[in-house]
Order: sequence, then structure tokens, then C-alpha cells
Amino acid sequence: MTDIRCPENAELEVLHQLFASATHDASAAMCRWTDGLITLTLDEVREIPLEDVCTELNLDDDLLTMVVLSLAEEVGGEMVLTFDEKNGRQLAASLLRRPVTEDSDWSDLEKSALTETGNILGCAYMNALTRLTNHELVPSAPYFIQDYGASVLQQALMAQALTCDKVLICRTGFHREGEELNWRVLFVPTEAMRKAMENAIHSSA
Amino acid sequence: MTSSTAIETTGNRTVGMGRIAVAEGPICLSAVLGSCVGVTLHHRRSQRGNLAHVVLPRCSSQSSGAGKFADTAIPQMLRWFEQRGTRPADLVAKIVGGACMFGNGGPMQIGQTNVDVATQLLRDVGVRIAGKDVGGTSGRRITFDCSTGLVTVETVGNPCRTL
Repeated sequence: MTDIRCPENAELEVLHQLFASATHDASAAMCRWTDGLITLTLDEVREIPLEDVCTELNLDDDLLTMVVLSLAEEVGGEMVLTFDEKNGRQLAASLLRRPVTEDSDWSDLEKSALTETGNILGCAYMNALTRLTNHELVPSAPYFIQDYGASVLQQALMAQALTCDKVLICRTGFHREGEELNWRVLFVPTEAMRKAMENAIHSSA
Repeated sequence: MTSSTAIETTGNRTVGMGRIAVAEGPICLSAVLGSCVGVTLHHRRSQRGNLAHVVLPRCSSQSSGAGKFADTAIPQMLRWFEQRGTRPADLVAKIVGGACMFGNGGPMQIGQTNVDVATQLLRDVGVRIAGKDVGGTSGRRITFDCSTGLVTVETVGNPCRTL
């Protein structure tokens, strides 16, 4: 029988510090990628009961455009970058320096612009976490997905769901010239990653 | 094992991960599925139905809710019907979900394993499986009508399918 163990509030605060540092680095990378237009801020580090995750994160049955990067190791996790259709198209158009398209299908070039965005963000995030936890973290190639956000998040949660009834999620928001955008990065760490992050903070204290 | 995860509902309801909802009559139960599977049980004459939003195939913790695992959710669903005088042989099941949304499907290729375990458990107790829409790489939104037993499956870019 496996004991279900979930972090207390003090541990969440510790994790918040570490994620804030990683988000700072990811924001710098995003700012460079978008010629200074887009920055990131850490929204929250939360522990959410499994049955409430999609509702609490406002996913429900919305169709989203997403880029997913996986860290397949035991000290790992999943990073999901989400946009609604309109914001995804606008980002792709901005990066490609073209007008926003109204086609129903995304072109390979548009998909490439978004996956590269995910790649840049993911690598910046993982480089920061690697430095902070002293564990080398190498993300997968990015996956471009258009589907129900809740469906993708379910698979991202699996590693945590194996041992816990609450899941830890780090949510990051995007801003352009002070305006909040309907984009999100969700990072879902494995339990081994959580422990590595907590150990890193405690050992540096 | 926490048994209080069966939500008796009198109105349309979305069933979250690891939960079971039970209803009677013209009530629709819905769920959005990725690697999870939705298992429905229906008794036509009484118009009673259950929908379990199953996350994992086999129970690994006694403190988790019954709906989280296929091998605890299905027995719980069957007990609800048994308490109302309905045998497994009088029920019809449908199974939806178990997709691989990205990569290699996560730990244990969980989607396919969820489908396999749910299927075997239902067959072991003699419940007829009348429809399946499983696997693949797309998410699904399902709506289960407890008055008819029909399950509508919506996937992105494809026509709706009814089981």
C-alpha cells in the first residue's frame, strides 16, 4: 500500500521561490524571442485535488492550441504551453512578421513558430531548474497539439496521479506591454522533481 | 477505500477525474477524456446510469477515492446497481477514451492499460460491452444520456459518434 503524501503550505512556498527564479529566466528568453514584447510572471504554485484540476485551471472542454515538452526522466515533468486560437494565431503572425491568417488549418510555418516558442521557453525553464536543482533536465522535442486542454493535461498529470490524489501545478502567465494575454504555461513536475527542488532550496538556505 | 465518490445527481453534470456520478432518467453526465477512460453502465428499464472517469488501471492506495482506479470504480458502480436489485447481466457498458495525447503515452502507456483493465473487469462479471471508442491520439468529450443509455463522443475535426 502506498502512502499518499502531499506537500504542506511551507513546502509550496519553497517551491514558489524556485519556480519564480526559473520563470524569471524564461521571461528573459521570451522577451528576446519576441523583440521585447512578451514577458512572463509566475501566477501560482498550487496543489489541486485531481477531480478539480481542469475546473480550477479553467480548462473544462475548451479547445486550445498547445505546445507540450516532456521530461521523461524520473526527475522530470511535463510543460504545457496553452493558447486559445486567436492568441496562438497572433503570436505566430507576430513571429513570422505576417498578417494573422484566417485559414481553418494551421500552416507548417505557423506550427513551427509556435513549437519554436515552446522550445525556447522550455529550454530556458529547464536550464534554470537544472542550475537550481543540480539535475540535468533535457526536454523532448516539442509536440504541437490542438485539442481539448483537459485531455492533454490528463496525460501530463499521470506521473503525479500514480502516487497522489492532489497534483502540484505551477502556472505562469504572459504579458504584452502591461496587458495580460490568454496564454499559460503549466508545469507539472514528477514527485522526484518536487523532492529535488525542495532539497535544493533547503540545502541553499 | 473511500466509497463516497459516487455523486448522485439530479441535474446534468460534468464528471471530474477520479469521480463517479450516478443518475436516473433524463440526466446527461459528461466528461472530457484524454488518457483517462470513461466507463458507463446503464439499465434500460429503470433508466439508471453511472459514469466513472477513471484515471488509472489498478488501485495503489486505499485512501484514494474508488473512482480513480478501474478495479475499484467498476465494483463500486456494480454495487450501486446491486443495491437497487439490478444484476450485472442486465447492464450494458460502454468504454471511451484511453488516448495517447503526446509522446509515448506517459507512464505505463496508461491510456491503453486503462482500456484493457476496464474491458477485462467488465467481461469477468458478465456485463455486456455494447460500444467502445478508444485509443488514438485525440481527446474526447462524451455525453451519457441516462434515459437512453446513448453515449455521444465528440473529437476535434471529426463528426460526432454515438455509441
